[in-house]
Amino acid sequence: MAELAVELADLRFAWPGQAHPCVEIAAFSVARGESVFLHGDSGSGKSTLLALLGGVLVPQAGSVRVLGTELTQLSAGGRDRFRVDHTGFVFQQFNLIPYLSMQENVLLPCRFSVRRRQRALERSPTLGDECRRLLAELDLAPSLWQRPVTQLSVGQQQRVAAARALIGEPELVIADEPTSALDATRQAAFLDLLARECRQAGATLIFVSHDRRLAAHCDRSLAMADLQRAVAPA
Amino acid sequence: MTRRTLLAVALLAAAAPRLALAQSAERRTVQYKVGDRLEGAKGKAPKDKPRYRDLKWDELISPDWDPQAIVRSLNLDAMQDGDVRAYEAMRRLKEEWNTAPPNPALDNVDVRIAGFVVPLEREGDALKEFLLVPYFGACIHVPPPPANQIVHVIAGKPVAGTATMDAVWVSGRLGQFPVTTSMGRSAYRLQATLVEPYKPS
Amino acid sequence: MKTLLLLALRSAWNRRLTLGMTLAAVALSSLLLLGVERLRADLRASFAMSVSGVDLVVGARGSPVQLMLYSVFRMGEVAQNMSWASVQWLAQLPGVAWTVPVSLGDSHRGFPVLGTTAAYFDHFRYGDRRPLRLASGERFDGLFETVLGAEVAERFGLLPGAKITLAHGSGDGPAPEHGDKPFVVTGILERTGTPVDRTLHISLESMEALHLEWVGGAPIPGLSIPPQHVRKFDLTPKSVTAVLVGLDNRGAVFGLQREIAAFRPEPLMGVLPGVALDELWQLVAVAERYAQLVSMLVVAVGLTGLVAVILAGLNERRRELAILRSVGARPRDVFALLAFEGVAVTALGAAVGALLVGVLAALAAPWLQAHYGLALRPGMPGAAEWRLLGGIVGVGALASLVPGWRAYRLSLADGMTPRL
Repeated sequence: MAELAVELADLRFAWPGQAHPCVEIAAFSVARGESVFLHGDSGSGKSTLLALLGGVLVPQAGSVRVLGTELTQLSAGGRDRFRVDHTGFVFQQFNLIPYLSMQENVLLPCRFSVRRRQRALERSPTLGDECRRLLAELDLAPSLWQRPVTQLSVGQQQRVAAARALIGEPELVIADEPTSALDATRQAAFLDLLARECRQAGATLIFVSHDRRLAAHCDRSLAMADLQRAVAPA
Repeated sequence: MTRRTLLAVALLAAAAPRLALAQSAERRTVQYKVGDRLEGAKGKAPKDKPRYRDLKWDELISPDWDPQAIVRSLNLDAMQDGDVRAYEAMRRLKEEWNTAPPNPALDNVDVRIAGFVVPLEREGDALKEFLLVPYFGACIHVPPPPANQIVHVIAGKPVAGTATMDAVWVSGRLGQFPVTTSMGRSAYRLQATLVEPYKPS
Repeated sequence: MKTLLLLALRSAWNRRLTLGMTLAAVALSSLLLLGVERLRADLRASFAMSVSGVDLVVGARGSPVQLMLYSVFRMGEVAQNMSWASVQWLAQLPGVAWTVPVSLGDSHRGFPVLGTTAAYFDHFRYGDRRPLRLASGERFDGLFETVLGAEVAERFGLLPGAKITLAHGSGDGPAPEHGDKPFVVTGILERTGTPVDRTLHISLESMEALHLEWVGGAPIPGLSIPPQHVRKFDLTPKSVTAVLVGLDNRGAVFGLQREIAAFRPEPLMGVLPGVALDELWQLVAVAERYAQLVSMLVVAVGLTGLVAVILAGLNERRRELAILRSVGARPRDVFALLAFEGVAVTALGAAVGALLVGVLAALAAPWLQAHYGLALRPGMPGAAEWRLLGGIVGVGALASLVPGWRAYRLSLADGMTPRL
């Protein structure tokens, strides 16, 4: 059991054709079960950082260790597998696939990952049951469950996305500005909900937002600008 | 570059069946001239049927038949130019050619012979019965061959894609059957087990 | 894999209006391609099986194809008839096993009338050497008796014993009628699927009797010889359209052909049915080839449209693809998703096209049978059509690689957060 959920060292990533690196981080680590609030304005490189954490992008230099596994040493397919096995994502908007039902949306990770499917089935007798359990936990009334996802409010959609991110108990949950499309009154509530669920499951939460007022809801808070320090020459 | 290659591949694939069609049409029109024969080229005998004997058209005539005998019976040295007896003799000779007897040894033997097709009976698009003749244009443009140079072929399995004057190899059992006409006493008939397009090697 | 399949199908169903249109395009183009092939093959088969066991068709010298078409298929016409003297000469040639003279020119309400001898029913064969059989009644024996083909009997609801009046000409417009000499139906033939079905058969003498007081295609006005006195006149036919000939030895056909060509009293020709049909196909082959080419192009157009539609919708789906990446889909899964959609629509479209061919063939077959005596096969595709179907799906699959590839590249570039 690795101590750290995330460990970055001497990380450098630049988009192809760009001289100046988009992400340059000397060191960054997150303990298991911690909730971290990452603050940054648009253009600060936070989406890129999340992509690196998800194994979608590969850095030009440095190491990305998630749950003790060095992502840069995995094959592309291996990274894709690792991502779904151990990470759940919530995005800012358009989180759901419009032609799938609510339950099908929530169960997507279980279709791509055997591990998450098994862990979900440890909690409930069937996948459907586990899905319903999570939706209930996230305050989504059963009357909504049959509604087409395109007819849900933004807040409801975000909570469905959260259920998808949490099903099968991934060790890491990454939320990229999930509240930015919600009204102010709902934002804090959502973050609390998410943080509570992660705590219950023992998952690590990395919450990215430009709204500093939400920082208090997490264990730790830091800014992208502080992270992005020049990498010391090797 | 790769996107364009894929598009090119897709378009080529769309064209492929068209090209295949065009090719098959070309295959048929290997240009034979009237009077062409299929002698002198060795084809492949079917691998599992080595017992088929390659047959030449000349062998279909009885070895006893001697056309030279008629010429010998004339005394050409003693004739004038344009002698009417010579003309008559030639006419008789041609009649004899028409009624020359078949080779008695060629009855109930497995043979393989190449010739041109004159269709008789079809089943849909496939040919069931046809006549095999020694030279191209044998019923269309030039005098037809005599009875002993025509083989009536009955295909065991109807043959697809064969048209008039196509060149084919026919393998099967050759037999003679009696015919009560004045045009010869018997005719050749072949029960074909295999009919394949003729390819000069 | 199953997940991807389900995703592709659900996604396609979501866009069913647009995809449905392209599916219709693929279906129609498949219908064209397969329909052309079926028509082509069935017509050939139909022609080939209309006559069997006839070694030569002899008639006045002219076009062999025309003679075949007219005497066997009752289509078109010939310029000249053949004299009765030649018919008799032909019958006594050594090597000739049987002869059946046939005479055309009359019609009854659009159906051709064939004058022939009783030997017709003995020797005429079709398909795989099948003889003609009577479904009811018996052959004609005397004057003013007729045997009907199955289609004629069915169309006019005639049974043995019924009386009909024949009309001259091919029956398209108003024509002089032989009202004073009605015919009685003595027999009805079984259905053959050939032009025999739409023919009325009478004896040569009856044919002659019909035109006793006619000159040059019309009756002499005011002249009418009642049926009972017709026999007083000589009813030997003066000429016939053609003679069907069977030989003792099929291999002797060429010699006979030459004798017929060398006949001094009248210019004649002997036609080998198989060779004449091949000649016909050669004439038609160019048109066939052209039709096939055009239909293939149409299929290509349909598939291009399909690819264009899928490509056009790709931009809107980048968000969806990004979500799939975030839950573990690999770029090649995204490729498979898009490619599969193209294949599925192609396959379904081709299947619908094949179905339509079967339905349309079933609808058109009776009409073709009734008007031309040609048999169109309804229902399931034949071997050649299956090959074409495979070709359509194959090309569709290849074409689908294009949107698949594009999606693959987009997915690699976008990751989980597309820059829309």
